[in-house]
Amino acid sequence: MSARDINLSSRVTYLVCYDIANDKRLKKVFKLCKNYGNHLQYSIFECDLSPRERTRMEVELKSLIKSTEDQVLFVSLGPAEGRGDRVISALGKPYTHFDAPCYVV
Amino acid sequence: MSDFDMALDYRTARAMYPHRPDLWHPPEFLYDPIPIPLDHPELPLFERLEANPSAVDPNRTSAVFTDPIPARMLNEFVYCPRLFYYEFVDNVFVESIDTERGSAIHKKVDKGRGDLPSAMPSVKDSAASAPASPASAEAEQEQEQEASTTPTAVQTDTIHSRSATLGSDRLGVLAKMDLVEVQLATISVPASASLPPSSGKSKTKATTPELDLFATPDPPSSKNQSQTQTQTHVQSVTPVDYKVGSPRIGENGVQLWDADKMQLGLQILILRDNHYHCDQGVIYYKETRQRVPLQMTPELEQWIINHIEQARQVAASPVKPEPLLNSPKCVRCSLAPVCLPDETRFMQRWSEASPHLDRNSFSKNRLSPTLTSSTTSTATQLSPRRLIAARDDERALYLNTQGARVTQRGEVLIVKEETATKGEFRLKDLSHLALFGNIQITTQAIQTLCEAEIPVAYFSQSGWFYGITRGHGLKNVFTRIEQFNTAQDPRRCLALAQRFVHGKIRNHRTQLMRNHVSLPDGVSLKLKRAASDALAARSIAELLGIEGAAANLYFQNFAGLIKVNPDDDELPGLEPQASTANSENNSDIDPSFTFDFNKRSRRPPADPVNALLSFAYSILAKDCTLAALAVGYDPYIGFYHQPRHGRPALALDLMEEFRPLIAESAVLTAINNRMITPAHFVRAGDAINLTQHGRKAFFQAYEQRINSLITHPIFDYKASYRRIIELQARMLARYLTGEIPEYVPMMTR
Repeated sequence: MSARDINLSSRVTYLVCYDIANDKRLKKVFKLCKNYGNHLQYSIFECDLSPRERTRMEVELKSLIKSTEDQVLFVSLGPAEGRGDRVISALGKPYTHFDAPCYVV
Repeated sequence: MSDFDMALDYRTARAMYPHRPDLWHPPEFLYDPIPIPLDHPELPLFERLEANPSAVDPNRTSAVFTDPIPARMLNEFVYCPRLFYYEFVDNVFVESIDTERGSAIHKKVDKGRGDLPSAMPSVKDSAASAPASPASAEAEQEQEQEASTTPTAVQTDTIHSRSATLGSDRLGVLAKMDLVEVQLATISVPASASLPPSSGKSKTKATTPELDLFATPDPPSSKNQSQTQTQTHVQSVTPVDYKVGSPRIGENGVQLWDADKMQLGLQILILRDNHYHCDQGVIYYKETRQRVPLQMTPELEQWIINHIEQARQVAASPVKPEPLLNSPKCVRCSLAPVCLPDETRFMQRWSEASPHLDRNSFSKNRLSPTLTSSTTSTATQLSPRRLIAARDDERALYLNTQGARVTQRGEVLIVKEETATKGEFRLKDLSHLALFGNIQITTQAIQTLCEAEIPVAYFSQSGWFYGITRGHGLKNVFTRIEQFNTAQDPRRCLALAQRFVHGKIRNHRTQLMRNHVSLPDGVSLKLKRAASDALAARSIAELLGIEGAAANLYFQNFAGLIKVNPDDDELPGLEPQASTANSENNSDIDPSFTFDFNKRSRRPPADPVNALLSFAYSILAKDCTLAALAVGYDPYIGFYHQPRHGRPALALDLMEEFRPLIAESAVLTAINNRMITPAHFVRAGDAINLTQHGRKAFFQAYEQRINSLITHPIFDYKASYRRIIELQARMLARYLTGEIPEYVPMMTR
């Protein structure tokens, strides 16, 4: 890449983990997270988010959770592109990371 | 010359009298517009066609000129006039992190009901709470001051009014104010000394927006009703605007940015025009949590009025303002990928010297339109910054399983076969859908996709491209107008067609020279000659001839690009994975299927390679159509390809230079890397088709190719082919609107 390339923001992978005290809110938060990433485990999602998507997700989450009782953590795993299975490995049931150029069904 | 000769067209005359060039009519003959019969009864219906299409009407004053301009747009105008033009005139918006943050902080603010206490004093009488008569709509400064000095008891109170929208006819602007801090004064006067109703006419003509009388709980003094009359009136107002960023650090500490000054100053002026007493405004910068005040001065007022006038002129002009020159503003601008500031500036100055195109042929080409070059030729020629992301975050979704159903839940698409879920796809990860054959999709899903601006393309199972569904896309109407104007001008069409064909032939040549095992002598030279002939072609018909001959030559040598030997597959260890994936079809495999290629054949394709090529062109046509739609073209009106029902002619024009780069390359990669094997084909009558598994494998090969990064030969930065198709489409639009002097096809080195 040439020197005049500007480092443009693209997606970063986040582990989004939540602890929600109330079942009703939990359900809502779960549904919301489904729109943003893969459901990895109970209350853990793997989300590839652009800065814009992250802002949007945060705003939406903020309006759902009760800030005194609930917590949502965003754990950054670095740039999503070319990540492969490098940063996540699994024991037990396998973890697979989708990294194809397109979706085909 | 006899009448008989006149009837011959150029090609026929040349064929009949090869030694008599004097009988060949100039090719312009082919392009003389059909004379419009002057006495045609329906002529008045076509009145608009009589106008010279290429001339731009300087008096084109659309609704734009008279509509009030929102203050936010004038903020954009001060930031960048071109941005203002895109958003206000072309109605193009692009979301970015900044706009997303902005709308997040405005969510809270916008919850307000938008009501503002009236500028006129409201009188609460003990007997009947008679509202102030509308005639007393005078809240002039002096009177207010007078009123505030005389009363017996004054109570001041500050109330907040959110998202009030006001306008001013004098300025011709509208503003939605995030927050207005209203200083209320409640005056208790003896009931006898009632204020005389002032019936003076307002000095400035102002809009009377629907201002509800303020509806907060009565001030405490109003309890004291029996003896006194309380009069609540607005003493002064202060608009407060919320901004995501931080203030500018100037010489005298923190300052407002010019663009913010414009917006806030306008709010002050609008409030004044609506009879409020307003001297200053405040901008609250969220990032640094600072309130930065702005005092209204006569100079500032003049500055604002001048800018409104300029904005009005720009909005009424059919010419987009020039992009900013190498400005740091562009880096964060969400419209940079649409506006392409550096690329446009670069192309404006590019004409002088080019390492890629045959400049001699261009200068010889007298049909080339001469357009005014940029006035900023003194600026140094910097290579463009890459202000676009190299690749999309989104991926294409190809649906190929016959009988699958697509439904939607929340922002997720669910693909089911019978009752089993085959996949779930988040809308945010999808760039578009391509449906092959019998795929069902629910109306709800289509509605959601339209809203999310994700197009859906439909194909037959064998890859016939039927069409596209997408949401409202009527933006950038001026691009479309220029497209239609150009399509009516045969000379400009020819100039563009020359470049499309030139690009294609050059890329064909590069493909052969790079990848052919042993290219016969002379082929490369012939193609080179054909490419420069294309630039000098004098008619579309001639160009078609050149293109056809070059394509023939290319496909004669195409077999040399295929590097699989049928015998290789017999070797142990090279067992293609498809034979397992496709085991149920093994019995159907026609042993005669090989990747031998003799000549291009279509409708139907006679062998596997031709089947793959046809399929690849069809998918590429989809991607070019999507790019054309994204830029705002009508994809069905082309310059080289003539309009025909259901054929995306413009997409096919755009596609020419990308055929070798994407479609043929993907086919070769798929074959040479054995992603596709002879087992992936079936025969249906005369036609050879890909099987379902074959299509699936080819989608991957194709998408891999179109998503791969390549250095743009002129702009010298990396971007995916998909991005570059869109980039070329945008540069074509620049050419059509006259912003850049020529269209340069994408040609790899």
